Formats: sequence, C-alpha cells, structure tokens
Amino acid sequence: MDVKITKLFFIFVSMLLCVCCFDDTDFDQANDVLVTPAIELDLIYFNLEASKFYDYTNNTEILVVQDTTDLDFLGGDDITNILKGADFFFEFTNSIPRSFNVSFDFLNQDNVSKYLMQTTVASATADQPVVSYFIQSLDELQIKELTKAKKVLVTVTIPSSSQDLTGVLNLQSKTTYYLQIEQ
Amino acid sequence: MKKFLFIFLFLGVSTVVCQNKQVLYNWEVTPQTLLLNPGSIVSGRFHAGVPLGSGFHFNVGSSGVSVFDVFADDGVDINTKITNTISRLSSRDFFTVNQQLDVINFGWLSKGFDPMYFSGGMYQELDVIAYFPKDIALLAWEGNRNYIGKAFDFNHISARADLLTVYHFGVNKQVSKKLTAGVRFKLYSSMVSVSSTRNKGAFKTALRPGSVNIYEHTVTDLDAEVKTSGFISLDGLEQSQVSKKLLGRALLGGNLGIGFDVGMTYQFDKQLSLTASVLDLGAIFHTKDTERYKATGDYTLDGIELIFPELESDQSTIPYYDNLEDDIVREIPVDTLNTGYTQLRPTKINAALHYDFGRFVGDKGGCNCKNNGTKQKRVSQAGFQYFSIFRPRGLQMAGTLYYTRSFGNTISIKTTYTLDRYSAKNIGAGMFLNIADINLFLAADNLLQMSNLAKANSVSLQVGLNYILN
Repeated sequence: MDVKITKLFFIFVSMLLCVCCFDDTDFDQANDVLVTPAIELDLIYFNLEASKFYDYTNNTEILVVQDTTDLDFLGGDDITNILKGADFFFEFTNSIPRSFNVSFDFLNQDNVSKYLMQTTVASATADQPVVSYFIQSLDELQIKELTKAKKVLVTVTIPSSSQDLTGVLNLQSKTTYYLQIEQ
Repeated sequence: MKKFLFIFLFLGVSTVVCQNKQVLYNWEVTPQTLLLNPGSIVSGRFHAGVPLGSGFHFNVGSSGVSVFDVFADDGVDINTKITNTISRLSSRDFFTVNQQLDVINFGWLSKGFDPMYFSGGMYQELDVIAYFPKDIALLAWEGNRNYIGKAFDFNHISARADLLTVYHFGVNKQVSKKLTAGVRFKLYSSMVSVSSTRNKGAFKTALRPGSVNIYEHTVTDLDAEVKTSGFISLDGLEQSQVSKKLLGRALLGGNLGIGFDVGMTYQFDKQLSLTASVLDLGAIFHTKDTERYKATGDYTLDGIELIFPELESDQSTIPYYDNLEDDIVREIPVDTLNTGYTQLRPTKINAALHYDFGRFVGDKGGCNCKNNGTKQKRVSQAGFQYFSIFRPRGLQMAGTLYYTRSFGNTISIKTTYTLDRYSAKNIGAGMFLNIADINLFLAADNLLQMSNLAKANSVSLQVGLNYILN
C-alpha cells in the first residue's frame, strides 16, 4: 500500500515538473525592444522692446542685439546616443514696424558654430502685430552636429532703427525631441 | 550580494500569488498550518522540520499581464505588445514575489493539567510588491507629446521590497470543547528593505493662453520619498563581505521588529467548524543603516527667458541655465535623511468555514483523544476560505473553495479553486505523504496553466519535509 502511495506521490511530483514549460514564447524578442518617447519641451522666449535697438545716450542705432545661454542638456554622449531627431518650433509676434533677421547659432564650448538656424520675422503693419512661424526639423545627421553644442547664441538684426520706434518682438519656442533607446 | 540572494532564491524562494497559501491553510496534516493559523487543531505530539527543508514557499504573480502577453511568438512586434500592455494595465495592477524558507520549525505537546502545544522556529522571507506605475511608464515609453494637458501622477509609484528573517514562538490551546485558540509572537530581523509608497504630486505639460512660452511644464504638490534600510553599509563591499553582513543581520543583527499572529478554530458541531487568523500584526523599526531620499515642492518651467542685457566688454553673460538649475533645486529640493522609520508588516487575514463528512478515519477509533474527543476526523472535508492582505494600496483579497480527502493516515490530498485578482480559473492541489512519521508535502496552484506557465498570471509552489510524532 505504502509503495503504491509513494509511487503516486512521485508521479504527481514528476507530472508537475514535467508539464511545466513556457510554450509559444520567444524571449529573444527582448533584443528588439525600442523605447521611442517624443518629448515636448519649452526652449527660450523673450520680449524684445524696440528701445533695445537705439542708444539714447549716444543717439545711435543699435542694429544687432545678442544674447546667449548654455543648453547643457544638449551635449554629452548620453544624449548623442539616443537623440535621433528634433523639431524646433519658433513663434514670433512682432508689433515693431520693422522686419528682423533672427539667427540661432548653436556653439560648442570653444564658441565654434556646430549648427545654425536663421529666419526672417515679418514687420508689423499699421500697429497690428504680425505672427511669424519658423520650424526646423533636424534629421539624425544634423542632430549629431547639434549635440556637439553646449549653448545657443541668439542674434536679432534690425535693418534700421530710430529713437521713436515702439513695439515689442516676442518669441516663444519649443522643441520636440525624438529619443530612441535600445537595449 | 547577488550570490547571497541567489542562494536564498535557489534554496527557498517560494511565493504564491499574494502570499495566499490556500492549499496549506487548515490542512491539518502539516506543521506549516500552524504558521497560517496558530489556533489550528493540532493532532500531533511533536514535530520537527528538516532544517532548511521543512517548508518552502514560492509565488510570483502579476494581476494584469502574463509573460505570454509580451513574449508570445505570434509575429506581432514586441513594441506594439508593450504599448498595448501599458495601455491595458492600470495603476492598481501589481507584481508580487513572495518567498519563504523554513530554516527551523519545531513543536511539542506539553502535557499536564493544562495541555498546550508549543511551536517555534525561524524562517526567511523575501516579499516584493510593485504596483504598475502607469503614468510614469506612459511618460517613459511615449513621452509627453501625445499627452499635452495630462497630469502624470507620482502617486502611481508604489513599491516595496523586504528581505528578512522571522523568529517565532507560539502556543496553541484548546480553550473549551468548541474553541481552540493560539497566538504566535514574532521577532523580525530585517536584512535589507526599500520602499516608496504614498507618493504625491503630478507633472503636467499644458498649453495655457497668456503664458510666457508655448507650454507650461509644472510639477505640483510633489511629495515623494524612497526609504532604504541596510543598503548604505553594503556599498563598496566585496561579495563575501556582503554575504557575511547579511548573515549577521539574519541572526538578529538587522533592524528589529516585533509582531504577533492570532488564530482560532471554533467547532459548531462535530462536522462544521470555523477557523480564522490574523498574521503579522507588527512592525519593523528601521533605526540603523537607513537612508531616505525625499523630494518636495512645486515648480513651473517655461523655458529660458533671454533679456538681452547691455554688457560691457569685461562683463560675462547671464548664466541663465545655471540659474534655472538653481531654481529647480531650490524649489524642489531632494533631501537625503538618515533618520529612522517604522514600517508595518503586511498583515494577512485568513478565515474559513469547514465541513467534515464521510466515514471516520481510523484514528484511534475515530476519536481525537488529545483534543478531548471534540472532533472526530472524517475522510473528507470541504469548505470556503477567505484570504486578504494589506498592501500599500489597500486590501488584496482571494476566495477559495476546497476539498480535502484523507486516505488513512498515510496520504491526504487537497484541491482548491481560487478566485483572486490574478485569475478566475486557479485550480490548486496538494499532496501529503506520511511514512513512518516522516511527513512530505507538495502543493501548487494554477495547475491549469502548468502546461504553459507563460500564460499564467501567477505561479505558486510549496514543499516541505517534517517529522511528526502522533
């Protein structure tokens, strides 16, 4: 009796061990996992008064104004390896009766240009602000250059100015970063 | 560290979904039932478990996804399957691993005017639960582009992992003809612990008319914390040193805690009985080797505002980016604390209604004389069991219908049907073998999924070897 029961017990155990398996699965698929988030992030903004384009002390025009900021997150191997594309979106609202040339020069640590974007902003008309858009999409090769940059130099150029010039040049901007993270 | 964990996992890892040991519960033939209900009716005079082999329990489970859902060899791109899985799961879905290894287990009947059954021992336990951080997973997997205006909730981050040993000693006594009660005192020794629960706050990218830039990226009402215990002192140690340190903690050298189990069996008549138990009512006091990381605050990011300052030639430009980083650190500081904390153990509740039927087992004339003849043991028992466990997001519950059949005193089988968050078709079975007072048991559930574990939401296994003197 005991022998039979013992056999039964071990048959039960063997069944459990033998029938356990992972069928119809392919764990090698884990190598194909690709995380591809698209991240929307504000970039820079400014409100540039018309008075910035005139030197009231010396009564002279200022035709070029510049500012710069570090963008540390752009540089580095980590981001270079996973950033596969980016869309830059700039929205200008101009209430100054002048057109502008605006450039965004992405510089490396030694102030060497790695990528340059330029656009023209339309002049305001009859006190009505004019909205201009500038979109620049970067492919993987262009991104490789961009990610060598550490900062951006923004240059705003006005063709002419005067002391009674009024209005504001407003910029709002964002970037969509396309990441691709592989195993 | 890895080696140590591997040894533990290899030797003893045993988890059943939710820590529910429905096959073992009230299966009077195993000493382990006393660990599930200290108020069980005990029929033996003495028991001793084989060291490291008297009880092994392992369970892994997930409430909303199986291995098959992601790794099925069906020609569908795995990234599509992951996207679908993330979409289907909710923040209330969870993943669990629970393992217990009986290191020592013993018990004896103290005869005399007031007979009582004493039992004690020590077991090691690994318990992990992680709720699916739906919003965070969505943000990491897809980014925020398709979710402008959606608040990603930090509350979705809720996880806890504990590796500890438990020293216990209990007493079981027949209080009256109908009532048997028991209590078990526990001393916990935590080896390592990490948890992050009750987080608050949200991250949102929103379009807001009138804002200074295109979006507003806001972190609101953030209050998030990760608590760790036992990790700092392991940092930089060799594997052998880590093993030695953890072994020391297993032997009451870790952060200590106390708790107790209570249980009872009430016999309405000779066939109908009620059992109930509350397990792990207690806490661990993490007072040493703790490190806590806490982030709080609110912040709105609009990008970087350029103000085109008029600079002299010797003036440097405004450090906008550094200022931005400083603002974030100031508004959302991440504090590292070494203060202690108290952590409640995940309390479990068992309750069941049992009905004995069939002919009597030939046990000393059908009378369990050690229990004053209060219960005659019959060959069959059926009933309903309830199980619940307190988890960070509330109770997890399971209901079980079962049938137990004894074949003399040599063999006993138990089959169960369990309904819980993991599955509605969980069939379990256990077999107990007793030869010359050597008691061997094996129990498993989700048997219907055994032919393809990939499709199972949970897997559970328990084995044990004991010496029982009746």
